[in-house]
Amino acid sequence: MNLSKEQTLFLKKQKRTTYLTHAVRIGVLVLLLGIWEIAADLSWVNPFITSSPSRIFRCTCDLAKNGNLLYHVGTTLWETLTGFALAVLLGFILALLLWWSDFFRRIAEPYLIVLNALPKIALGPLIIIWCGTGSRAIVLMTVLVSLIVAVMNLANGFLATDAGKIKLLESMRATKAQILFKLVFPSSLPSVFSMLKLCVGMAWIGSVMGEYMVSKAGLGYLIVYGGQVFKLDLVMSATVLLCLLAGIMYALVALLEKILVKRY
Amino acid sequence: MELLRFDDVSFRYHSLNGETLAVSHLSFSVKVGEFVAIVGPSGCGKTTILSLIAGLLSPSEGKIHRADEKYGYMLQRDELFPWRTVLKNILLPLEIERKLTKENREHCISLANKYGLKDFLDKYPDQLSGGLRQRAALIRTLSTRPDLLLLDEPFSALDYQTRLNVCEDVSSIIREEKKTAVLITHDLSEGISVADKILVLTARPASLKAEHVVPFTERSPLKRRNLQEFPHLFDLLWRELNE
Repeated sequence: MNLSKEQTLFLKKQKRTTYLTHAVRIGVLVLLLGIWEIAADLSWVNPFITSSPSRIFRCTCDLAKNGNLLYHVGTTLWETLTGFALAVLLGFILALLLWWSDFFRRIAEPYLIVLNALPKIALGPLIIIWCGTGSRAIVLMTVLVSLIVAVMNLANGFLATDAGKIKLLESMRATKAQILFKLVFPSSLPSVFSMLKLCVGMAWIGSVMGEYMVSKAGLGYLIVYGGQVFKLDLVMSATVLLCLLAGIMYALVALLEKILVKRY
Repeated sequence: MELLRFDDVSFRYHSLNGETLAVSHLSFSVKVGEFVAIVGPSGCGKTTILSLIAGLLSPSEGKIHRADEKYGYMLQRDELFPWRTVLKNILLPLEIERKLTKENREHCISLANKYGLKDFLDKYPDQLSGGLRQRAALIRTLSTRPDLLLLDEPFSALDYQTRLNVCEDVSSIIREEKKTAVLITHDLSEGISVADKILVLTARPASLKAEHVVPFTERSPLKRRNLQEFPHLFDLLWRELNE
């Protein structure tokens, strides 16, 4: 293809801006880590309280060496993913009911509003008494934190289906199930993904909150434990790992969205 | 032969704020092969009348006689599904009616080819111009071989230039396929340019104010607009609407 000189120049400029954005992003991270490291090394700040990038790195390596890293990461990851999957599945079913029946929606509305506003941590003692102090309690907390967000976002997506297109299908005498499968599901694909992205964040909040409450393992547990024994390196290491995991999970959802959502 | 007849039909909408009479004692008939335009002031209940014809609503009083249940509905916007190709959009009504046989599918493809959509069947709606999209919507309406076409202001969302072209386009396809059609519009000249018969409605509640047989033998909407009698008919209808 022959591009005009102007277009080539334009593309070059766009490319340069993209590179620059990436470079500055990484630069900011390196700069902040560098300042942090130097400040800790030269004792401008007390590294016992602030930790430092090299200490965090060493602490993570130690965890990896004695085999605890995988165990803790695995525990939290499993709890988060299970809670996430359950919340999305249940959320999908409930949102479907809300779309299907006006009557059901009217009944459910006040309950959803109250449950949404309720700080789920308030249910902590109940959850412990009902589910014990194991992973089940943490998964339940994850589900509770994510579920309402999932339901409300999905239901709004379903209900926002274009009225003209519904009328078109009705004029073809489509059944409600046909309207659901031919129109509502495909047209709500973008809202399904915005719901999934929100739920990634909510699920991590839920699982770490659950681990703060009751746990013998996991990254949330390491943070609480590290805080209690004043090992700030451990607290920071676990936090960094959480950042990485949540980031990766979000990126995977975004990638899936890019593949599936093309024409909207 | 009559395809459709309204006998003294009235319709009321019910809401918490009370009931609204939308159609009042309306009688008219549509013959096979006839192109009928219904004009009236905006908000007078024209769309309600189409919904009554389609059976999406039932009359509060009076009776609607239909010779055939098969109709196709064309809306203001094309309502093509953006995630389906043009062909898949055209086949949608057949899918809904579970009649997607090989023969019906080929009928649709030949219709699309005949009316210039051949190169666009595998494209997505957002790759088509407004005029082509509305043509695809018409082929979709024709896919189930309906006897009666219900056109709910199908040109009003288009810009003026496209609108005249699409109107010419759609009207010639409907004539060529020998379909009966009921068009509702608020645009008087559009009504005069396509129809065999024009029903003029009163403001809400809609009832019949006048019925005119359009005396032109010319079938092309664009050419009709140049006929000497065109402005006379326009004036007559204009006065009736504003009385």
